[in-house]
Amino acid sequence: MDNPLSLAPLFHLGPVPITAPVVVTWGLIAVLSLFALVSTRKLSLRPGKTQTVLELFVSTIDAQVRETMNREPAPFRPLVGTIFLFVLVANWSSLIPGVEPPTAHLETDAALALVVFAATIGFGIATRGIKGYLATFAEPSWVMIPLNIVEQITRTFSLIVRLFGNIMSGVFVVGIILSLAGLFVPIPLMALDLLTGAVQAYIFAVLATVFIGAAVGDAPRPERPKKEDTVP
Amino acid sequence: MNFDWWTLALQTINVVVLLWILARFLFRPVARIISERQDAAHAALDAAQAAQAEARAARDAARAEAETIQQQHAEQLAQARAEAEREKKRLLADTQTALEKTRAETRAELDQMRQAEAQDMARQAGALAIDMAGRLLARLPESARIGGFIEGLAEAVAALPETVRSSMGEAGPLSLRAARAPTEEETARIRARLSEVLGREVEIAVTPDTDLIAGLELDAPTAIVRNHFRADFERIREELAADE
Repeated sequence: MDNPLSLAPLFHLGPVPITAPVVVTWGLIAVLSLFALVSTRKLSLRPGKTQTVLELFVSTIDAQVRETMNREPAPFRPLVGTIFLFVLVANWSSLIPGVEPPTAHLETDAALALVVFAATIGFGIATRGIKGYLATFAEPSWVMIPLNIVEQITRTFSLIVRLFGNIMSGVFVVGIILSLAGLFVPIPLMALDLLTGAVQAYIFAVLATVFIGAAVGDAPRPERPKKEDTVP
Repeated sequence: MNFDWWTLALQTINVVVLLWILARFLFRPVARIISERQDAAHAALDAAQAAQAEARAARDAARAEAETIQQQHAEQLAQARAEAEREKKRLLADTQTALEKTRAETRAELDQMRQAEAQDMARQAGALAIDMAGRLLARLPESARIGGFIEGLAEAVAALPETVRSSMGEAGPLSLRAARAPTEEETARIRARLSEVLGREVEIAVTPDTDLIAGLELDAPTAIVRNHFRADFERIREELAADE
């Protein structure tokens, strides 16, 4: 039996080996893109059912970002929403027979975590400037600089390992039970995987929001109008 | 377990591409339509507030106009009342004047009627007195109708101015009327007495006239001397009428 954690290339594009998670991801990208194109083709001020769901989804993401970061959600909406949608769809792709979710492989989770890591640094620098962002590593004291640097790395790894462990374990359990018990026995576990996949997608998106929010800091409060000095 | 760096790189690219696609074709349009709906809702709310403000302004204007109309109505009513009051006073004054005039006219007419009635009564009383006197005189001797009046006639003639007396009886006999035809003695007494007061002999022509009731009346060209009951009654009646 092959190691289920190892990736065998399906084919090569020149020197680049193309593995199953990449192919499945391409399929998911195609499906999501098609869905995006079709669902946003006839947006109107009087929404239908699909548009209502989409607006509810976007409004929920905005509310989550606004609540977590205390900032206007527009710059962060695409990243948080894309991460949530992709992780959710990737996790649920295990329902399709013969398809292994890309998030059950370490490379996909690492790619997602890498994007979040890069976005954290990018938004932090864009908001605070390079000096301001680097200064956050010395908070609350310069003594904390090594710990903060380690934290940046470890929390990224925790993102990877958390998602990988949960999804991979579900796939393994379903595969083992399917091979031992029969066709319909793993159905409850697959339903549990649906819940696990949704929760993991939510956790990944929320953690990404928290990390980015910590990098950009709180929004500056609007200054109160100064009281004019009055001479009695 | 091994880690495929190519897969990591491809998946990273895939995530970035998916991020761009969804940002471009999903999140941006949906966020835009949400924003448009919010703008439309705000615009509708602003329009509703503007319409409400306009309606309030129109209501205030209508209220002010109603108050103005009410005030004008009150002023017009007050003017009409004042005018009606003036007209009422004028009508009352006119009525009062007309009433006074009518009253005065009525009073004058009443006075005239009363005066006419008094005159009529006086006339009737005179006639009654004449009748009564005539009846009373019928009980006296016939001589009393003339004899008692000769002296009075002579005194009245004597009281006339000299120029009048001198012309009396010059042109002919003095015309004399008597209550009845005098006897020759009475005629002689009358001529003698007149001749005495006139200072010369005069002739008389006596004409009987029962209207005189009792007495004599001298009818000269320049003077008439009445000494009889008829004349007395006439004078008394005139005096009574003058007193009333």
